Amino acid sequence: MDVGQLQRQFIDYTASLFREGFLDDQFTQLRKLQDENNPDFVFEVVSLFFDDSEKLVNNMAKALEQPIVEFEQVDAHVHQFKGSSSSIGAHRVKNVCAAFRGFCEQQNSDGLEQQIIAAGGSIPMVE
Amino acid sequence: MEKMGFGNVTSTSKTMKIIDTEKQIYVLIVEDDLLIQKIHKAMMTKFGTEVQLAANGKEAVELFLSGAYFDLILTDLEMPIMDGIEATKQLRSMGVTSMIVGVTSRNQDSEIQAFMNAGLNACYVKPLNAEKVTVVLNELKNI
Repeated sequence: MDVGQLQRQFIDYTASLFREGFLDDQFTQLRKLQDENNPDFVFEVVSLFFDDSEKLVNNMAKALEQPIVEFEQVDAHVHQFKGSSSSIGAHRVKNVCAAFRGFCEQQNSDGLEQQIIAAGGSIPMVE
Repeated sequence: MEKMGFGNVTSTSKTMKIIDTEKQIYVLIVEDDLLIQKIHKAMMTKFGTEVQLAANGKEAVELFLSGAYFDLILTDLEMPIMDGIEATKQLRSMGVTSMIVGVTSRNQDSEIQAFMNAGLNACYVKPLNAEKVTVVLNELKNI
């Protein structure tokens, strides 16, 4: 596979992420911030986002497995996740977070667990 | 509520414009989240401003107490040690007349109004983007 093909695949893949609603205009704006003074900006912010996301989703999952679930604590993690996902242009994640908050308000554990799994996390099994 | 502030964000302000100003604009970004710090700093730098960071309201107040000056303060609401409301109140009571703009994830009218009442010039819901920055910097230029 030559470089040209890889580049086209990359462009097509990125376009599909926008088309399917994974990314929104905010991500486009972040790409414009990358320049010769900041050549790795997109990679750096996306890496930071993935690291933060992993921690937040794990924290949410652990909070949900407590004998008495503190929904305010879960909501605090979701709130932070919503802020960072909207700032990076992770459109679907942002929308999932909005739904999360609804379940937190209702104190609906099953709904929250489903959202965590849908977002790519896992629920630790309590023995 | 999307925002409370200077006027409508329009489609004509979508492209990033370097605001033509003779004076260097100094911006303080008050934000505890490292990812948001990085994004907001890059955005404001791209618009030609000189940016400094503070991780919470207390750091922001201490910067002013040490004699620092900023034309514009962009502050988050929820931060450890000292939040945006308390920091804004303290800065205004110290006589700081710089433009202070809130940028928050909170979007309830009551929450934004409480933040505004602390002494903000305007408040926007995250994310900060080129359109919002353009409106803010144009407003700053007109002061």
